[in-house]
Amino acid sequence: MDIFVQQLVNGLTLGSLYALIAVGYTVVYGILQLINFAHGEVFMIGAFGALTTSLVLFRGQTSLWILPFMIIGAVIASVVTAVLMERFAYRPLRNAPRLAPLITAIGISVFLQEIVRLNYDHVPFTSWNPFDLPDAKSLIPFPQIDVVTGPAFQVGGVTIQRAAIFTIGALLMCSAVLWYFINRTKMGRGMQAVSQDPDTARLMGINVDRVIVVAFMLGAILAGIAGVAQGLQNNNIDFRMGFLAGLKAFTAAVLGGIGNVAGAVVGGLVLGIVEAMATQYIPGQFGGSPWKDVWAFVMLILVLVFRPEGLLGAKAVDRA
Amino acid sequence: MIKIPDIPESVVVRHGAKAWPLALAGAGLLMTGSLLSWSGDPQVLGDLSISFNPGGLQIQALALALLAVVLLLAHKGPLTSLGQWADTALGLRALATWALLFMVMVVVAITIEAGGLINIDPGGWISLLGAVLLFAAARLVLPRETRDPAEAHLPGWSEILVIVVLMAAILFGTAYALGLTDAWEFVLFLVFVTGVVIAGIRAGLLSWLGHVTPRHRHVLTLAAFAAAFFFPFTQNGSDANMSIASQILIFGAAAMSLNIVVGLAGLLDLGYIAFLGAGAYVGATLSTSAFATIGWNPPFFVVVLLGACVSGTLGLIIGTPTLRVSGDYLAIVTLGFGEIFRLSMFNLDGNNGPDLTHGPNGIPAIPDLAFGSFNFGDTHNVLGIPLARFSNYYFLLLVVIAFIILVFSRLNNSRIGRGWVAIREDEKAAEAMGVNVFGLKILAFVVGAFLAGMAGTIKAHQDVSVTPDQYIFLESAFLLAAIVLGGMGTVAGVMIGAVILKLLPEKLRFFSDYRLLLFGLLLVLMMRFRPEGLVASKRRQLEFHEEDEGLAVRVEGEFAEEVKP
Repeated sequence: MDIFVQQLVNGLTLGSLYALIAVGYTVVYGILQLINFAHGEVFMIGAFGALTTSLVLFRGQTSLWILPFMIIGAVIASVVTAVLMERFAYRPLRNAPRLAPLITAIGISVFLQEIVRLNYDHVPFTSWNPFDLPDAKSLIPFPQIDVVTGPAFQVGGVTIQRAAIFTIGALLMCSAVLWYFINRTKMGRGMQAVSQDPDTARLMGINVDRVIVVAFMLGAILAGIAGVAQGLQNNNIDFRMGFLAGLKAFTAAVLGGIGNVAGAVVGGLVLGIVEAMATQYIPGQFGGSPWKDVWAFVMLILVLVFRPEGLLGAKAVDRA
Repeated sequence: MIKIPDIPESVVVRHGAKAWPLALAGAGLLMTGSLLSWSGDPQVLGDLSISFNPGGLQIQALALALLAVVLLLAHKGPLTSLGQWADTALGLRALATWALLFMVMVVVAITIEAGGLINIDPGGWISLLGAVLLFAAARLVLPRETRDPAEAHLPGWSEILVIVVLMAAILFGTAYALGLTDAWEFVLFLVFVTGVVIAGIRAGLLSWLGHVTPRHRHVLTLAAFAAAFFFPFTQNGSDANMSIASQILIFGAAAMSLNIVVGLAGLLDLGYIAFLGAGAYVGATLSTSAFATIGWNPPFFVVVLLGACVSGTLGLIIGTPTLRVSGDYLAIVTLGFGEIFRLSMFNLDGNNGPDLTHGPNGIPAIPDLAFGSFNFGDTHNVLGIPLARFSNYYFLLLVVIAFIILVFSRLNNSRIGRGWVAIREDEKAAEAMGVNVFGLKILAFVVGAFLAGMAGTIKAHQDVSVTPDQYIFLESAFLLAAIVLGGMGTVAGVMIGAVILKLLPEKLRFFSDYRLLLFGLLLVLMMRFRPEGLVASKRRQLEFHEEDEGLAVRVEGEFAEEVKP
């Protein structure tokens, strides 16, 4: 039983991370019917934004009050990336055939990964120069913060990492704020209107371009926070981390029903729990952590092929 | 894109008459300067320091000047009868702009490499001055009435001659470019080639070629293959460039196979490298390598067939369920399959599942192919020219790629190919017209996978080892990029795309750290400014530029012609 609860906790933690990223896919898809394939990189940039903030401004410090600054740094980095990407790469392709944005997204992904890899190329980062950044070719240790990281709690036979609590807490808070924003603010209702019918929304005086930018920003804010959470959880980050996390978060978004914000959160949690359980309970040689990514991809394929409308129902399904 | 502002009309009217002699003088100066010494330092950019013994770059400058003179004479002078077909003024402008860029880059290169402007000899300054003069004058040359090059009918033999000369130029140009070891020289040669090609496009020569080549399609294909065939003979037994060339052919073979899936049937596949990998793993496990995990060594042509069949079966397995989805979802499903393939090859090391692939270490020490007494690892002498290991593989791969192109073009011109295009354009309409949508989609997947698997078995032997990290997602992205860059559904375009994507990173070593960065940027810019690719079929072009009515009329006319006979 302890093992089951332990895996449930692990799954929830993992799922919270997926959910935070998945919201970005789903919000943009809901409005533009565009799979922002480069969203995983926004998440990665968020993690590096937090790392850079901590290295440049607070090198070597571990107090709790640094955490808000790191989160702000992460959010700024990912929001700037997402907005620039929308403005210069996606906006000119609004009416292009669907292949064009997809290939653009692959291009952006590679470009962003390389930017990070090339800018973090000094080994090691022991000097006092604030811009002496570590080498991104290997794993980079993520700064550890008092209270949020450190010895795990033991509840009965179950180990709960401190960072896991941070991640789940971040998801809860973000979901609440997101719910308030979408349902109670003018801009949020504007987003709903655009996602239902962009042309009519435009006629009703909604600035569709601004709504799209806000959608990209929303996704980026959550991805930035997810980047910090990931860093705290794994103790290290690297420039490739966005690819797999992005794909799994996309699976989560489809699982919940793409275009459906609540669905993204549910889908993320379900995917996380399934992955944790699969790692634990699939017997024989094909179980365990070496195969866990394979099972995640199998799940991705099964969901896309057999239930493209997701658990909670998608806004628009791309299906033959 | 930098747009050079047009010169005010009043200036053109007042000085238009002087433009022609001025341009001629500019070209003359450029030529004179190129015959003199450019740099005092014999160490930089090849040797440019000896007067009346021009180095490579000076010969390129001479060629640019000579082309400018030809265009000028065709504009107003003895060659006017030829010039009436070509837009000489626009061609001259483009040529002059690129000639100026060329000379400026030469000056910058000498300054940087030799350390200071002092190292530039008078010859260099004279050439630069000539280029500036040519540039300024060319912008004043007035365009005039031209006739549609489609109406130009030269005798058949001269058209064939042009094609043959063009192919020979490509052959020797490529051999020359590959021989350049200096990055500056290579970049400057690229500038030279780009300038000449763009001048040709502007002057309308390329659209003339576009009308000529369909009349002599077989000659063109034959000439292209002959050029590719003779390439190893230009290398004097050196294997360095042949290694790159055979890599390009493998990559091109995979890209051509993917072209059937993406270019013809319009099914986006982001995990395609897995099929090449499946073939390679079959080739490796059935080889006589000491690390091969299956102790059966059938003859190589059996292995090729087996590799192709395994890969094709994989295509069938992947295709059957996934073709229920389309568009972006299909892309992501195939990406998932590509990753599953790589992770499985990584995991099947004996600890996690059966030992089939030796996991991350892969299968090394795969022996060279041997057909009878002909061993691919040995150097063979043909007509006194030594052909080493990679040349042997190159010839084999040339046969394979010829086969793939044959399959591609035969399918493209068949009922099946038309069915694919119909599915690509509008699936529902195609189905309503009685096209077997599901069957044809599966066929595209299987044929593409089969051909890629075939190429993969050879890749295993050529690369000596097979490891999972050769088959990452980025490689699939590169394959797709070759198709998008070159032009979907075309043969020439995809081959050009494959050459560009594999050759440039090899030669631009000083960019090696930035090459992926540039690759990403290239994809984004390409989609923004020329989404239909470098060599685009008109139909495809129209798809991306719906508002261009002139193009629409032309495409319609072309189809009417196609239907008539």
